[in-house]
Amino acid sequence: MAQTAESAPLPNPLIIPLGDHGLLVRFAIALSDRANLATVAFARRLREQMPEGVTEIDPNLVSVLLKYDPARIAFDQLAGEVRLLIGSPDGRKGARPKRYRIAVIFGGEEGPDLDEVAAALKLAPSAFIAEHNARPLRVLTTGFAPGFVYCGFHPEHLELPRRSSVRPLVPAGTVLFAAGQTAITATSIPTGWYVIGQTDFRNFDAERDPPTQLREGDEVLFEAAKK
Amino acid sequence: MTALRILRAAPLTTLQDAGRFGYLRHGISASGPMDRAAFQRAEAWLGGAGSTAIEFTTGGLSLRVEGGSIGAACDGGEFTLSLNGEKLEWPARMSLKDGDVIDIAPGPAGNYGYFRTSHEVDVPLLLGSRATNLVSRLGGLQGRGLRAGDLIPVGSRVQRRMSMHPRPAMPAKGPIRVIWGLHADLFSDDVREHFISEPFVISHRIDRMGARLEDRAGVFTAAEILSLVSDAVVPGDIQILGDGTPIVLMRDHQPTGGYPRIATVVDADLDRLAQMRPGSEVSFRPVTLAQAYALLKAGHA
Repeated sequence: MAQTAESAPLPNPLIIPLGDHGLLVRFAIALSDRANLATVAFARRLREQMPEGVTEIDPNLVSVLLKYDPARIAFDQLAGEVRLLIGSPDGRKGARPKRYRIAVIFGGEEGPDLDEVAAALKLAPSAFIAEHNARPLRVLTTGFAPGFVYCGFHPEHLELPRRSSVRPLVPAGTVLFAAGQTAITATSIPTGWYVIGQTDFRNFDAERDPPTQLREGDEVLFEAAKK
Repeated sequence: MTALRILRAAPLTTLQDAGRFGYLRHGISASGPMDRAAFQRAEAWLGGAGSTAIEFTTGGLSLRVEGGSIGAACDGGEFTLSLNGEKLEWPARMSLKDGDVIDIAPGPAGNYGYFRTSHEVDVPLLLGSRATNLVSRLGGLQGRGLRAGDLIPVGSRVQRRMSMHPRPAMPAKGPIRVIWGLHADLFSDDVREHFISEPFVISHRIDRMGARLEDRAGVFTAAEILSLVSDAVVPGDIQILGDGTPIVLMRDHQPTGGYPRIATVVDADLDRLAQMRPGSEVSFRPVTLAQAYALLKAGHA
């Protein structure tokens, strides 16, 4: 099971300026389940109690960027409010994340790296697909490119580093695999991840506001699409 | 219908309003003018302008007014401007009528200039903005740069709402001021010291995404560049690529980055950096947040 954001106290983050309009709250240097859960939980608290002067929040894998208007609040004051928010009890423990089912065509032309990935993990392709889809994943973060989502974490026996070379462009809806994660593209981008499949799901529509559906902390259950 | 017919446009000519803010988590950086102060001065020459400007580059711009009369103004850098073949001063305020042709060529300074009119540029709002984001291919005219033949309709006239005398551009010199960055502590004392003592040079690889710098003193040549968990990026971040090349991320920056960032250019100096031409020397000087806030206040006074 993907864990929901814990109600336990959040780990003590680093609070650091990012220029003169940004404050970054970073829960770890390295990516870990714990640091990402803290990030997701902190972003949720922020949305419930947005400090005055904050113009935008941008959760990442292990950190949240708060953009602020320095005419309304200074860094030190905002940092104090952030510490208060981190130390305060979470009123919404056990809130259930939204769950999305995403159908993927694995392998073949849609997923040219699937066989290589399965072989590297010493699994038959069908066994890899079954393992890949066996448990829901958490949306770790969004926004590397429009609508791009990172989902994780797979168990250790499904971990593979990125490919050594970069594909110049993969289309929207490409399902990527590396570093214990599965990612979905919503626009065409270059990538160094393995291409394991393709989905009709598009997490980006510029004509809608907000333009994306998935948010950090949501759950994604991948399914094999019927060809 | 009144419209602007593009007769000639360099590849990075775009429509820009103040920016598309609030969409970082969706993977879209704000875009907006590379030189915000110049963009605002161009409006002030008119006492109020449509929200959206044509941002042009040293590649130049030529356009013809079709179908009606409009007020227009240009500012930013120092370009050479002519109206129906007759040279005008820079910056400029103009009354343009049907058939008038303006022609802009590079002048002695600057990379970016702005053409604004007393009327609203009539392209669709996308996520609350008309700014073009060339990376995400969003906004402006079909998410792309302008090119010869494009017809940009202008709609209703904007009410005059400010005095028609902008504060002239302040000739600013000296080092570009920075705040130590997210990963400054990953660089040795020696590298950090050289970063602020050695000059860099603006390379020819500059665009709306970022300005690559030449590190002739070899400040980052021997620095070990780690690959990091990708993290949020802001305009002005100075990122050091794997091969040691410093790049200052600009208005169309990638939303996140995985290379270390040694420092961030203060907001008050980012316009000035954007206007520095390839070959210009640039030095960096660290300031405190309080100093950065004071610079912002002085700029808005």
